[in-house]
Formats: sequence, C-alpha cells, structure tokens
Amino acid sequence: MSKGKECSIVIAGVGGQGVVLLSELLGVAAVADGLKVHGSEVLGMAVRGGSVSSIVRIGDSISAPLVTTGMCDVLVSMEPSEALRYVSCLSSPSLAIISMEVVTPFMVTLGKCSYPSPEQIVEKLVGAAGKVVALDAVALARRAGSHLAANIVMLGALLATDAVPVKITTVRAEIERHFSAKLVPVNLKAFDLGYQEASAKMG
Amino acid sequence: MDKPGCGVEVRRKMGYNGALIVLEVKETCLQEATRPTIASDAQGEKLYMLGNEAIARGAIEAGVQVAAAYPGTPSSEILETLAEVAGELGIYAEWSVNEKVAFEVALAASICGLRALASMKHVGVNVAHDSLMTASYMGAKGGLVLVAADDPWMWSSQNEQDSRYVAEQAYVPVLEPSSVQEAKDMMASAFGLSEQFGQVFMFRSVTRIGHGRSDVVLGEISRTRREASFEKNPARMVYTPAVARKNKPLMLERFARIRHAVNELPFNQLRLAAGAKLGVVASGLSYAYVVEALNVLDLNDRISMLKIGTPHPLPAKLVSQLLLSVEEVLVVEELEPFVETHIKALAQESGITLKVHGKDMIPLIGELSTRAVIEAIGKLANRPIPTSFAVADKLAQDVAGMIPLRPPALCPGCPHRASNYVIKIASKRVARDYGDGVEPIYPSDIGCYTLANNPPLESVDSVICMGGSFGIANGLAHVLKAPIVAHLGDSTFFHSGIPPLINAVYNKARITMLVLDNSATAMTGFQPHPGTGNTATGEITDAVKIEDVARACGVKFVEVADPFDLKMAIEVLEKAMRFDGPAVVVMRSPCVIVLQREKKKKGEAIVPYRVLRVLEDRCNEKCNTCVALLGCPAILKQDGKKVIDASMCPGCGLCSRVCPYKAIVQE
Repeated sequence: MSKGKECSIVIAGVGGQGVVLLSELLGVAAVADGLKVHGSEVLGMAVRGGSVSSIVRIGDSISAPLVTTGMCDVLVSMEPSEALRYVSCLSSPSLAIISMEVVTPFMVTLGKCSYPSPEQIVEKLVGAAGKVVALDAVALARRAGSHLAANIVMLGALLATDAVPVKITTVRAEIERHFSAKLVPVNLKAFDLGYQEASAKMG
Repeated sequence: MDKPGCGVEVRRKMGYNGALIVLEVKETCLQEATRPTIASDAQGEKLYMLGNEAIARGAIEAGVQVAAAYPGTPSSEILETLAEVAGELGIYAEWSVNEKVAFEVALAASICGLRALASMKHVGVNVAHDSLMTASYMGAKGGLVLVAADDPWMWSSQNEQDSRYVAEQAYVPVLEPSSVQEAKDMMASAFGLSEQFGQVFMFRSVTRIGHGRSDVVLGEISRTRREASFEKNPARMVYTPAVARKNKPLMLERFARIRHAVNELPFNQLRLAAGAKLGVVASGLSYAYVVEALNVLDLNDRISMLKIGTPHPLPAKLVSQLLLSVEEVLVVEELEPFVETHIKALAQESGITLKVHGKDMIPLIGELSTRAVIEAIGKLANRPIPTSFAVADKLAQDVAGMIPLRPPALCPGCPHRASNYVIKIASKRVARDYGDGVEPIYPSDIGCYTLANNPPLESVDSVICMGGSFGIANGLAHVLKAPIVAHLGDSTFFHSGIPPLINAVYNKARITMLVLDNSATAMTGFQPHPGTGNTATGEITDAVKIEDVARACGVKFVEVADPFDLKMAIEVLEKAMRFDGPAVVVMRSPCVIVLQREKKKKGEAIVPYRVLRVLEDRCNEKCNTCVALLGCPAILKQDGKKVIDASMCPGCGLCSRVCPYKAIVQE
C-alpha cells in the first residue's frame, strides 16, 4: 500500500463521542512510527455536549496546528451534521469519512432549528470532497461489543485510506496499550470492523 | 543481548530537605514501562505531549520546586501535570484560591531562592496584576515564571486579551513559543534567565500551544533541590514610597540589561534573504503559520524573516538589521499589534523610513491561520492566492444555513439545571410583589452555570468576570426596584465572591446570592478547591464551608438546599428573596460527572429514567413541559413523542418531577 508522506486530518464530533481519544491514539502512533506530528484540540467549553474538533497533522514540513482552508486530506466526522461545519477545509483531493448516526442537538429538540436529512448532508459533502465514505460506526461498534467504541471504528476506517502514513500494527499496539485488558478485544474488533467496512466501501 | 527499552526503573521521591528517597527499583522489559513519562529522565527521547504538559516538563527540567495556579482554560493542565508528579520529584504544587494568591505563593518561593512558577489564563493575569506590578520592583532570586495562557477567539473565555501589555506595563520580559517543542525548551530556559537577570519572566502561551499536541524531544531533568532561606532586607522587600523610589531605577537597569541580552537568545532568529524586498516578522505561534505560508507561496528564499521569541523587549539589534535590509515589513502576530507598535517606534528612533504593515493586513480578532498569512504575504509579494480558498468559501456559505446549532449545554443530570429552574420559579413568584411586569434580574458568573444562558432556562442576565455576579448585584440593588438574584459556583465564590458579599452586608444591598455548590471546579476539569476537603496533590485538608463564611461575613439569612428537592428549594429561595437584607442560599448537589465517576468506582448502578408510552403510557404528545422547561440533552422527541436516551440519562429525576402527567418513571 502506498502511503502519502504528509497528511492533515480533521476529526469532528460532539462532546462525549471520543474525538480527543481518537486523535490522541492516532498522534501517539504516528510518533511511535518516528513521524513528526502537530495537533490541536479545543477543550473546556466545547466538551459540554457542544461541537468538538481535533486536528492531527503528520509530516516533516508541517509546522502549524491548524489546517488551512481547502487543504485537509481527510475529514473524519463522528456525526453527520458536524461534518458540514468543516466543509471549508475540504477540496477535490480530500476524503470525508462520516459516521451516519445522528446526535440530535437540544436546540433541535427545542424547535429552535432543524436538522438536515442524511441525504442532503452526503450530497453537500460529495460536492466538497473528492470522495465520501459514509458508514454506521455506532452499529459496527455495537457489533464489536460496545457502542462506546464508535471512535475506534472510525480510527480503523481512517487507517483503511492510503492517506495516513501510520502503520496499522502501530495503531493496534497503541489501542492495546491504552485500554484495560478487559476492553482491548472489543476495541481491536471495533478497529478491524471499521477498517474492513471502509476498505470495502472505497473498493 | 540488550533489548531496546529494557532497563532499570527507579521510583524516587524527593524529601523536603532535598534528599533522594528511593521507593522502588525494578527491572523492566515491558513495552509499557519503556515509554518515558513526564517525570522520566529519558533525555533525547521523544514523547507525544499536550502543550501544557510540555510547559510543565520544561519547568521540571529546570528544577522547579514550587508551582501554584488557579484553574482556567487553556492553562489548567500545567499545574495538574506538576501536581501528579509533585511527590516523586519533590515539588510543592497547589491549587490556590485565586491567581493573585498563586502568584504570591510562587513569588515567596522565589524570594527564598527557589525556582517557582504560577500559571493562569489571561483573565487570571488581571487578578494577579496587582502583585506583579510591585514584584517586578522586587525582582527574582530563585527563577520566577508567570505562565499566562491567552485565548485568541475566546474558545473558553469572556474576552480576548493580550497579556504582553500587562508584562510591558510591569517591565516584565516575555517569552513566546512558536511550537510545543519550543514551549518545553523555553520553559526549561526561563528560570535560568530569570535568575541571571534577577527579574520575574512571563511565559505567554496561547490556546493552540497549550492545547496543541506534538512530539517533543525531552531534555535533562535537574534534580538539584535548594534549601529555602528568607533574608530580611527591608530596602528591597518593604514597598514604602521611599523603598519604591530606590528600587524603580534598579528595575529599569535590570530591564536594560535584558533588552541587550535578548538579541543573543536562540529564540530570536534572523534570516536575511539576498535581495529580499519584503521582511516578515513573526512572534510566537504566528511563526508556524508564516513558515507554511511561505512554503505554499514558494517564497522561502525571497523573503527575509525574523522569528521573535521575546516580543518584550524586542531584539532591537536584529529588528534594525532587518529594517535596514528590506523595503517593506509585515508583522504577523495574534491579537493586538504589540510587536508592530514597538517596531514602528524602533524604526522611528533609528531614523529608518519604511512601510511597516501589521494589523492593516492581519486580523485583529481571533486566531491566525496559514490562510490569513498567505493572503497578506501574497498581496505584498504579488503572488497569486490559491483559488481553492474561494471555492471553499462558497461551499461553506452554501451549507451554513443547514448546520444545526449545537452550543455546549448543561450535562444531563447537572444540578445547575435544577438550581436555575428553582431560581426561575421562585423569582417569578416573588417578582409579583414588586408590581405588574417587574422582571427578576439574574446576574451570573464564570462557570458551567453560564450555560443556563441558553434556552429554555435563560436565567443569565450578565456575565463579566469571576465574582462579577455578586458585584453587579450590589450595584443593581441600589438603582432598581426589582428582585435581584445573583448566582455563582463554589470555586468562584472562594476566588472572588466574598468581598462583594461583605459589601452587600456593609452597604445594605438587598440581594439574593446563590452559591451553586457542586463540590468541584467543574468547567475546567473538576479540580479541588477550598470547599472540597482535598488538595491538588490529593491530601486531605479542612473543608471551608460556604455557609459558615457567609454567616461570618454578617449575612443574617443563610440556608442550604438540595436543588433536586424542588419544593423545598423553591420555598427556601422565596423566603430568601423576601428577607429584608442580603440573603445567601447554598444550592448543594455534587457535579453529575464527579458523582457518576464515584458511583462507577464503587460499582453502584446508574439508573436512567424513561418515558412511559401513550394509553398504557401517560405521556401526552401535545405536552412539551419537560423539553420546554429543562432543555435536557437526554430528552429527545421522536414523532412528537418524548423519549429519554438511556445512554445519556444519569437518572437525576428532574424531568419526572416537572412532568404534569407523571409519565416519567425510573426503570
């Protein structure tokens, strides 16, 4: 598999979905592989069920913690509408990997705004990125043993792309290192299911 | 054969007298044990670190012995990291009651010859400002570093503030890193510089440094531990006007020496390109964006570049060299035109005439981006801007209307939701006594409860700063005829809620002051505080009781209520509001996240609530009470029917108490 030398990844989601852990595992694996990493996240206010995003940039010539407009290689979104918030970082060479399970904002429940249809979201993303992979990470995580492992499903899906220059074995080793012995099998399975699903969808 | 990563791991504890106590020696060959930690010697090894961990590591490498802080995003992880390894490394670490005290604790250690740091967010620097102004006259004996964490774009703050101006006013030199690695390196040097020049230094971080992550090459840890000693020296230490007059010139001399020395520091770097017409000056993290912008524009060898690591004082020699070699200069920096203004002054002093660009081309608000820098340099250097920017803008515009609002919300089970519900019900009832159409007013404060600003609670009428709720309430009471119900949190109460409370007693402000006591500094990561009974390093200590403080301050009406006991809490609050004089109600219920963690630890079950269905169920599709009153993220609507997401619901039961049809029961 040919792996690109540099890669800018934006990971989006909702507070509580494990966006920060996903990016941490990816970053720490990249460093274990001897790569240079610049990342960034916003903590504090944003974790209270609000929009959360995290950035991981891998490569020697990268120095900035943020991704420039249109220059994101892969957008990983744990939630469909959250992907739309980062549409301006996409351009035709970009790939977007989206988990389609909706997390309804309380403002929608209150009737203060509406939630777009999944078809509309995917259509807009297809217009923005070169390629869109939509999957149901929560269902796959449940199949692996816990709905909480959806972020690890997305990590597996991300590693199925050619864009990320990190070894799969290193990421798996980081999963083993991070989780308690009881949780390692579920998370490794989640990773593999995400990997297989995204590989199949990308053909 | 030596396997990589095998070795001997020694767990040491530094005694207070500086002696090393070896706790445990074990041979390690496990992969888990080979990765260095924040406290490992591991010189030359790489670690993937959060910027705030890197800042803490730099201080550890410099042999910091005292660290004090008040939590605040984006600075909290610095003290958290140090507190975790404090015992092992012989560091005294504390969460102080506020930033002023934190700085004074560090200053005292410096006076006694120890290396010390105080860390805080930018608005915390305002609180410590008073001490800092005179500490600068006093100078530093042991290395003293104030870490100021600025928050461009106000991700977690009430304003944007450039701490470099505070440092300028105090003649305090500033170090500003361009990367997470440099943050570690600068902190490791900062204490030595502070001692070399006998002056307190400011280390200015920003959100993308403190909450950035990067691979960091570790340096050597200094395990030297000094013995503290206090030398009585009133001519240096007792700031009467006479002493201050003698010390100001000494402080100015120290600053002049620093002004000269910064030209030689490795954090400032000048690279002149042959024949370059444009020079770019970048301070701190802005340098990272400039480097990428020059790559995108393919201008690396055609533009002269001055990287600034000490925005105050500027390396004047390097600046002059750049100004003399180019026709035009662009200053790139986040927030205010600090470096820009000083460079303009330097050019004028040196009689150099050239155009200095800065905030005429670089945004004054928010965070920088590579794009903003590309656009500015591209314009000055006549380079085409990537067309992808306009395409992406159009896309963003196209979807803007589709994206649902998702502001941060009070967590399901949060006691602040119950408290704010109680505030609204009780205050509306009491407002009727004031006449028709009189609205109660709710000054609020800094903390999770600010989120009650969102619909449907909307029980927040003002937020300015820590303790500001009680202060504003004092003033409102003297000019308005309306019920004034102010609220702040427990940690905020100790931080700066007590003086305005005493003021209310003294000046007879008839206000109701609520302390929403959830036993944690929740917004910043559940740090302990004086009311919790434990310290930063996990020691048990005497808990200060809010109600005792209020009574001791002379408040005649002080009650404690459980906000989830709605009937009782509303009754108590009504009584407080009708009391003739300032009243305090402590709404006491632990933070739901802390509570859940404790339940998990003890193996107790978390029992969610659920909605019963129509007919066999009692939920009325037309009724929207639970949603409209509480705005709990765990309550969802499916085809008009209310359902509770069991994965989110911690079982607080607030919704079951407000449901008029008694349709919500515990599973």
